[in-house]
Amino acid sequence: MNDTGPKGRSQAVGVPSIAVSAYIAAVLLLAVGLAVLAWRTYPLNSSGSLSNNDSVTLVVLAVLGVLGSASQERNVGGHITFSFASIILLAAVALTGPLGAAAVGAMTCLVVFDKQRVEVRVFNIGMASAIGAAGGFVYLIAGGATEVSAVGGLGYLMLHVGLPLLLADVSICLFNAVILSGIVRLTKGTPMRRFILGMLETSGPAYIGYGLIGFLFVILWVPAGVGPASAVLILAPLFVARWAFVQYGDEQRARERTLSALVAAVETKDLYTRGHSERVASLCDLMAGSLTLSHQETEALRFAGILHDIGKLAIPTRVLRKADRLSDTDLDRIATHAARGVEMVRDIEFLADSTEAILHHHERMDGLGYPGGLRGEQTPLLARIIAVADAFDSLTTSRFHREPHTVQEALAELHKRAGTQLDPSIVAALERGLVRHDWEPTRLEPALMVTAGRAFDHDDPAASDLIAGHAGTEQAP
Amino acid sequence: MRTRVRNRVRAAPLEMVSGVFALILALGAVAVIRWRLQEPQTFPVRPLLPMIWVFFVVIVVGEVFRVRQPDSRHTAPLATAAALAFAMTVACPNGTPAIYRAPLVVAVTSVAMLVGLAPSLVRRRPIRLTDLASSLFGITVAAVLFREVPVSHGRSVLDLQGSWPVDLLALVMVLISEFALTIEVLLLATVRAARSHAPFSRTFQDEYMAAFGLTAALSTTGALVALGERPLGVSAIPLFLFPLGLTQFAVRRRSAIRRTYRQTIRALSRLTEFGGYTEPGHASRVAELSLAMGRHLGMSERDVLDLEYAALLHDIGQVSLTVPIPGGATVLAAPADQRRIAHDGAEIVRQTGVLDKVAVILEAQTTSYRQVRELGEDLPLASRIIKVCNAYDDMAGSHPNAARRSAAMERINLGLGYEYDPRVVDALVRVLERGKG
Repeated sequence: MNDTGPKGRSQAVGVPSIAVSAYIAAVLLLAVGLAVLAWRTYPLNSSGSLSNNDSVTLVVLAVLGVLGSASQERNVGGHITFSFASIILLAAVALTGPLGAAAVGAMTCLVVFDKQRVEVRVFNIGMASAIGAAGGFVYLIAGGATEVSAVGGLGYLMLHVGLPLLLADVSICLFNAVILSGIVRLTKGTPMRRFILGMLETSGPAYIGYGLIGFLFVILWVPAGVGPASAVLILAPLFVARWAFVQYGDEQRARERTLSALVAAVETKDLYTRGHSERVASLCDLMAGSLTLSHQETEALRFAGILHDIGKLAIPTRVLRKADRLSDTDLDRIATHAARGVEMVRDIEFLADSTEAILHHHERMDGLGYPGGLRGEQTPLLARIIAVADAFDSLTTSRFHREPHTVQEALAELHKRAGTQLDPSIVAALERGLVRHDWEPTRLEPALMVTAGRAFDHDDPAASDLIAGHAGTEQAP
Repeated sequence: MRTRVRNRVRAAPLEMVSGVFALILALGAVAVIRWRLQEPQTFPVRPLLPMIWVFFVVIVVGEVFRVRQPDSRHTAPLATAAALAFAMTVACPNGTPAIYRAPLVVAVTSVAMLVGLAPSLVRRRPIRLTDLASSLFGITVAAVLFREVPVSHGRSVLDLQGSWPVDLLALVMVLISEFALTIEVLLLATVRAARSHAPFSRTFQDEYMAAFGLTAALSTTGALVALGERPLGVSAIPLFLFPLGLTQFAVRRRSAIRRTYRQTIRALSRLTEFGGYTEPGHASRVAELSLAMGRHLGMSERDVLDLEYAALLHDIGQVSLTVPIPGGATVLAAPADQRRIAHDGAEIVRQTGVLDKVAVILEAQTTSYRQVRELGEDLPLASRIIKVCNAYDDMAGSHPNAARRSAAMERINLGLGYEYDPRVVDALVRVLERGKG
């Protein structure tokens, strides 16, 4: 239900269409229907009226639910979502039955502290109440105990509370995904099947955790006799965990921003490369999508993209800005930047996967690149990706002797070099990626061009040939 | 590297004392148990054995998977929570009253902690006996408070709780745990204050704030497990530790990222060295010195962290220079150039969007102390510290001998009160003296 969060809220812009309104009405109707059914079949207790104790339970759970949903659903970094409201709803399923769960679900979504469109709120109330009631029915059908207080050992509690609660948990997760997929299908056109599978994949595992914690909550509340105070005991460690996760996310972002901002500052040394690292990093991101790299590889690639030229800092400015034709010594000096770059970032643990890519981003398929002279697939994949991004960005940026290439011209140039300098499959991946994303060639300001002058651009594919030729003559004798 | 070696040497006596202290606690507990065993048994021990074993195993496992926090203590949340629960267990599922006394808790916990050290010994990782001893002492406090100390008519909480409502018992358990963990933090703060020569009250505040969230999670989990044992028996121990397991996971992730963030800043601080703008090691020497002075002057751990980052990055503004200053020594550059470099550095750091405080420190790092005295300008203490440290390191150089040291101090003393804050210079003198001795 919490998973309505950003997904449920961000959609519907403007007045909802008739189909959407009808769908919301249907969900609301389903919720009311289930609630009536619950009232008829499983009233809160046999006399049909609330006992004092039950109403206390209900109120406490509802308040917790509201607090839970108010404090949650910021993605706490690294694919981790935390939902207190789901835990509360599960506890309500076992403690108050289907009707109570429906009520707790509805009340949780009734009080919302941030701004929310009316129809979104109505939809959330309907959905939460419906899945609460449905979970309650599943719990009872699976043989869940209505009077959890009945004393029994571990076996009894597992069989009559744990197992039914787990089934209720799974069905709540499923119902939630199905109902949401409908509204997303209507508003965004995402196929229902894909949405459901995606949601099960991202929040499915978390629901197992919610199930276990919900079970512990119920055990503590009734059989252990702690009552409403069990909320504090159970939720305190979770709050702390969430707090640490939020900090984790913040620090992760801080780390990345620090790294790229400082690298950008250092780039001022070589005027041509201003913004180059950032652009290479985003080209890498774009290719990671079409090469279906893992999350971890994509991260490593992005950092390698940001840092691939960091070693140029160690090369004297006079060489970088030299206007004349470079001597062989100068070329050798420039070629050291890959290895110097690795030297600089070696001590940063999380860049361990990126260093190979930084070291080998000037290797060539024909083995004439530097520093290793690796051939073909010997060069690590990430390094080959950076090589393509590097060449593409260099071609689509203006130089003193030419205007920037258009995307089409640059791609044609890369195709010409596929097989000798660049990996053809990666050039193809770049092309696929550029179909989905626009790329604007970089026009440097005239003033900057004047200062940058005729400086040597080591990323220009022609430079790669120059250094390759130079290396070749050196190796020949 | 140098810091680590120095800390280890310095800390040795403290570690020894802690180890002996823990050993006395453990042996004392065993002695009391042996003495008690000679008396006629008042309750059956055998049914409790499965529970004792599970606690033992959980504490061992928890100790093995410690959370190593950079520059802070190493905690073992699962072990601590399990030991707290052991100290406050009141009943087992099969109706056996758990009326064992505190020495059993202390003995089992200390043996389990020792066993948990084994993997660290085998892998030759550094062991912190101070953390271990204070943790054991915290558990002892909890066990004694819960099981031994008479609170009313000579009866302890354990004797009384039968007539209490369960939520009152839960509250008492949480309070006892909180108290015990506070004692633990107190001990740790004492040790750290002694180690880093920082004022005690500041260290305690820092440690307590840093541990606050975890302390809350630990004390509630201790009560959770103890209360869960009644309906669920021994299986309550792993089950109710699950939420804390999530907490531990989150805290581990967080400290891992903190560590790498610091590595990032350290590596970035060397960019100017690689570019040939500054002398190798200058930034990290200034950072180390600033850190010691910040602690000495009683800055909070948060401020010390900003100070460290600012000190590491204090020369980053030099990358905007086309031609490096000879030797990278800003103290010898013209005042206007110094200010421009400081300003450029602050701008660069501000670009990150997350280091605003560091940028403020960098901006003011060249401002004379006289501005504070005469114009009442608000100059961050961190900036004053960096100004002094930078000047000292620029003049003393990388391998200072006594003569260069005193020459550098002499030049700094010339600017005392005008250029440099006397209180900060005084701290420098103290810190340097300590470094020699």
